[in-house]
Amino acid sequence: MGRMSLLVSPELCIGCRGCQTACKEWNQLEGEKTENRGTTENPPDLSPNTFNKIRYVELPSEKNPMRLLFVSQRCMHCGDAGCMKICPAPGALFRTDEGAVAYDKDKCIGCRLCVTSCPFNVPRYDAQNKISKCHLCADRISQGLTPSCAKTCPTGALRYGDRDELLGLAKKAGYSKVYGEKDLEGLGAVYAFTDSPKIYGMSDSPAIPEAVVFWNNVLKPLSYLGLAGVAAAAVLHYVAFGPKKIEEVKKDE
Amino acid sequence: MSNNMIKKVSGLEILVHWTMAISFFILVISGFGFMFHMEGVGSAFGGFEQMKTIHNWVGVVFAAALFLTIFHYLPVALKFTSDDAAWLSKAGGYLSKKAQLPPQDEINAGQKLLYIAVLVLGTAISVTGVIIWLRPDMANLNSAVLLSFLIHNISFVLFLIVIPVHIYMATLANPGTLRIMISGTVPVEWARKRHAKWVQKMGY
Amino acid sequence: MTNHWVDFKNADVILVMGSNPAENHPISMKWITKARENGAKLIVVDPRFTRTAAKADIYAPLRSGTDIAFLGGMINHIVEKNLYFKDYVVNYTNAAFLVNPEFKGPGELNGVFSGYDEKTRKYDKKTWSYQMDDKGIVKKDFTLRDPNCVFQLLKKHYKRYSIDLVSSITGTPKEKLVEVYDTFASTGRPDRAGTELYAMGWTQHTVGTQNIRTMSIIQLLLGNMGIAGGGINAMRGESNVQGSTDHGLLFHIIPGYNPVPSATVVDTAAYIEKFTPKTKDPRSVNWFGNRNKYLISYLKAIYGSSATKENDFGYAWLPKLDEGMNGSWLVLFDKMFKGGFEGFFAWGQNPACSSGNAGKVRTALSKLKWMVNVNLFDNETGSFWKGPGMKPEDVQTEVFQLPAAVSVEKEGSITNSSRLAQWRYKSVEPAGEAMPDSEIINELRNRVIMLYKKEGGKFPAPITNLTWNYGEKDADGKVVKFNIHEVAKEINGYYLEDIYDKTQTPPKLIGKKGELCASFVTLQADGTTSCGNWIYSQSYTQKDGKIINMMARRGKDDPTGLGLYSGWAWAWPVNRRIIYNRASVDMKGNPWDPKRAVIKWNATKENPATKKPGVWEGDVPDGPAPPMADEKAGKYPFIMRADGMGALFGPGLADGPFPEHYEALECPLQENPMQPGHRVNPTIKLFYATEGPGEKAKEDGGLPEDIFASCDIRFPYVATTYRVSEHWQTGVMTRHLPWQLEMSPQQFVEISEQLAVELSISNGEKVIVSSARGKVNAVAMVTKRFQPFKVMDSTIHQVGLPWHFGWQYPEDGSSGDSANLLTPTVGDANTLIPETKAFLVNIKKA
Repeated sequence: MGRMSLLVSPELCIGCRGCQTACKEWNQLEGEKTENRGTTENPPDLSPNTFNKIRYVELPSEKNPMRLLFVSQRCMHCGDAGCMKICPAPGALFRTDEGAVAYDKDKCIGCRLCVTSCPFNVPRYDAQNKISKCHLCADRISQGLTPSCAKTCPTGALRYGDRDELLGLAKKAGYSKVYGEKDLEGLGAVYAFTDSPKIYGMSDSPAIPEAVVFWNNVLKPLSYLGLAGVAAAAVLHYVAFGPKKIEEVKKDE
Repeated sequence: MSNNMIKKVSGLEILVHWTMAISFFILVISGFGFMFHMEGVGSAFGGFEQMKTIHNWVGVVFAAALFLTIFHYLPVALKFTSDDAAWLSKAGGYLSKKAQLPPQDEINAGQKLLYIAVLVLGTAISVTGVIIWLRPDMANLNSAVLLSFLIHNISFVLFLIVIPVHIYMATLANPGTLRIMISGTVPVEWARKRHAKWVQKMGY
Repeated sequence: MTNHWVDFKNADVILVMGSNPAENHPISMKWITKARENGAKLIVVDPRFTRTAAKADIYAPLRSGTDIAFLGGMINHIVEKNLYFKDYVVNYTNAAFLVNPEFKGPGELNGVFSGYDEKTRKYDKKTWSYQMDDKGIVKKDFTLRDPNCVFQLLKKHYKRYSIDLVSSITGTPKEKLVEVYDTFASTGRPDRAGTELYAMGWTQHTVGTQNIRTMSIIQLLLGNMGIAGGGINAMRGESNVQGSTDHGLLFHIIPGYNPVPSATVVDTAAYIEKFTPKTKDPRSVNWFGNRNKYLISYLKAIYGSSATKENDFGYAWLPKLDEGMNGSWLVLFDKMFKGGFEGFFAWGQNPACSSGNAGKVRTALSKLKWMVNVNLFDNETGSFWKGPGMKPEDVQTEVFQLPAAVSVEKEGSITNSSRLAQWRYKSVEPAGEAMPDSEIINELRNRVIMLYKKEGGKFPAPITNLTWNYGEKDADGKVVKFNIHEVAKEINGYYLEDIYDKTQTPPKLIGKKGELCASFVTLQADGTTSCGNWIYSQSYTQKDGKIINMMARRGKDDPTGLGLYSGWAWAWPVNRRIIYNRASVDMKGNPWDPKRAVIKWNATKENPATKKPGVWEGDVPDGPAPPMADEKAGKYPFIMRADGMGALFGPGLADGPFPEHYEALECPLQENPMQPGHRVNPTIKLFYATEGPGEKAKEDGGLPEDIFASCDIRFPYVATTYRVSEHWQTGVMTRHLPWQLEMSPQQFVEISEQLAVELSISNGEKVIVSSARGKVNAVAMVTKRFQPFKVMDSTIHQVGLPWHFGWQYPEDGSSGDSANLLTPTVGDANTLIPETKAFLVNIKKA
């Protein structure tokens, strides 16, 4: 199977937030107690009970009262996933056959390092201190179904399918920027933008924190190497010099 | 005390040393288990979640023990003497079969350095460990956590260099050393060879 | 809808005005998006920068209640700049009709058309008539030059709607007006299609009907009626509101849009005489000439064998209105308020929150002896007696709560805005004691009949004679297992005898006794057919003896590529997907736009019905007659109209044959900028008036609850109500759903940044919004979505608030109460739909 992904097209999104409800319905997530904070956007942030949400981005416009963008926020299912990279518990975060970054709460140890390592500030922890985030409806897609959010989207702003086909679709439609095509070895949620990612409130070049990369690429091998190096040096030393022999120091000298 | 034996360390020091040593090994093994997803290690600890708990709490024990060492060793470790300079200039005599060292006090420069390294690394790894551990209660401290993660792991790597050296030195490189941390005493003559000044001070 | 949901994709220009599809009909945006991807332009005209506006190519703001001015300006623009579709206008509309020279418009008569009577607030429509020739056919001038022809009168009427004046009424910048006008008028060509989507933003005004009429005129001028990607499309606010209206929900129509008779219409002959439109023009189909067949077949459907020729098919049992009686919403609750009713069934509704001036409704409910609340959940109506300001100990109303099954818990059809009747199946059993509506009615009917048997009663015949063949019956005649399919079949109709086409020799058998009718074409006026609703005839039919539920079809073929999907379910009438489609072709039957051919006349192919060459291909045509170019058999395209023509001149309405701008009942202006004579629609019913001709209403017992405040410094801001995507209607189905509530948890009021500065209100602050009738607490949403309007050289602020909330749920009261506590008791001149889209309020910090 080729890698599957979501294509998010804010140009087509109407901000109806059917995706938010559909997600909660399929994943049986609790509704949150919120209040109106003077904005249509709610819940205020991703949470253990909110795997995806629409951000309402208000920008100045010359001909209209505002330029209003609707941007879906969710796990990006990075090809090179910071969360998976840093996660110390084997099997807690894993990649599905379709390419989604899914998780097994039973294996999650609640260390929250994934939170630190995510370039998109996605993972959240539930009351049992287990990771909670969008898993691209891993249970649906493994059965050949469409993720709940994309299934419910009325306009095709959220599309699910073969990643290469979706990329082709976005390019053919003439979007100036296909976000996440190459970043992080390709995101599993690619965005079709007509403007720079900053406009949509996204980082131009998302990256796993350097500390994590350094740890993964240098420190991890070094921990073995260092150990092995010391052992080797000790052997060498022992062979070359042997145990320390000290002449007896005369008491009266 | 036997006439030809000299007391090198107290019972408490022995206890602290082995507490640190054992906790260190638990931490290292579990650390490797986490870093390289070693399923066998995980199950030996009763699963990764339990391993995390053990790692964290053993880390506390390690830190506590480390704290106690401050009273034992820090003042003397911080005292830099001409003997130390000489010791250092000759690399403790380890890189030459002929090197002659001046008489050393109770703790030589190498031991001082080891202690300072353990203290610094141990403090760093403990503090950062706590930050990573308690992160749930610290909102918006991602960069602090990241830095901690980095320091924790750098310390880890350095520990993996320092401690094996220490073990080598305390065993193969200097046979007979290990008994200090078992009985607390060493033969006077053995000590005289290494810490002549101290042995003298002690009135032998 | 004249067209259908999928058809939006065929449009070149989509005008969204009076609706907010992205928020209230999100699925429609699927097709709007498709159209945009094909290069269509989306225009949104709305007082507020909505989520739909966020997707628009052109957004133009307008002050609530000024749509006719806006559209009147467009008519003027189209006519003056010659942007109309001449062939279409001349041949398919009544533009060429010569009107009575006595007819005068509001430009000449200071705000009213000729024939206005101040006392009755009604028009004598004598002068709104056409000039007739000696054969009784309307005189026409196809050059459109006669000063009395409809076209010239239209031109004269709308000449007054200059860009400058329109802009100063609507508050829309002039360049925006021109941009919208030019863009939409670009569809006045054969190869371009423009559609209009409206909803409550147009209907809920004192000029609601005329808002839509204005657009009809534009669509006829541009040749956009009947074509793919054209039409005027009412997006219904509820999934089955089309179906319920089709089946006689409203007080003035019985199923199939036949009028409810008044008591003075004494028998079927009088009914048919009164309600059958007549024409002497042989080229007009005048489909409602068949009204007699539909009435008699309807009576046969509801009264069965009890309806005989001898008893005039039971016509006497049909409920009648008193002469001049109005049974619409506001009038009913007014009567209830005055103690005019003992009991009330609130069935699937929540008037305590949904009604204009909801506070009056809540008091009205307390005047009842009993109320039955049939709903999925208890609501503010069922529990009105313990609501805010109520003293439960003083309320004598006994409330019965009947839990109803939700749509997925029962089988049956629903009809969406596309007139598409789709069969649905039961997926789960109703929860708890809930029952499908049909079974609740079954129980009710049984008990009423038992009471009649036991206790007698006045005039039981209309009830006891009702047919009730909806399933297996027990010894008492009670249906024990209600079969909804039997209802659907009764609606479709049966042949009660063998029916023959007697025009042929020998007479040809049309239908066998006992079989389901093929379509309304086979219905008879002599009692030999039954049909519960003529427009649904063919929905559940019989072909070669085999019974077919057309509504359950799921064909996915789309041979035209226009998205007609004629094999998917079934649309009334006779599965026609685009009505008035005979206007989508030229006089020879060739589509105006071959790329978007809805129908096409094939002159050589044999017609299976007539066995002669010449047949329509594509969608089901508006009648099988050949195209108009056929001098003998050709028919006019608008078959539902007696004159066969699209109506630029519409004398049927109460408030004038041409729409005229009047201000909302509550408006911030002293005077109507069009003319000083009449600020508000002169034909609306005034429940209470503070000035002018409405004094009479006050003398007649106008209630303080109905008070309004125009041009009143106490209530300086124009307000409108609306819905959001996250909630539905009064929120009874969505406020109980935490997933919806979390997205929109509280009553809010959107105000402009400028107004917020004036009132020192900050975003998210709690405020009180008040009108002359009530007040609600709300969270202030300070936003750029509303901008102040420049109207008649002064600044007018508009605010808006949703009406989804109520005091009952969530239980902590955190959501606030209904915005309808603010809205006035006044309705459209024709329909009495309450004016909740334009009224006046004040805002204060809470």
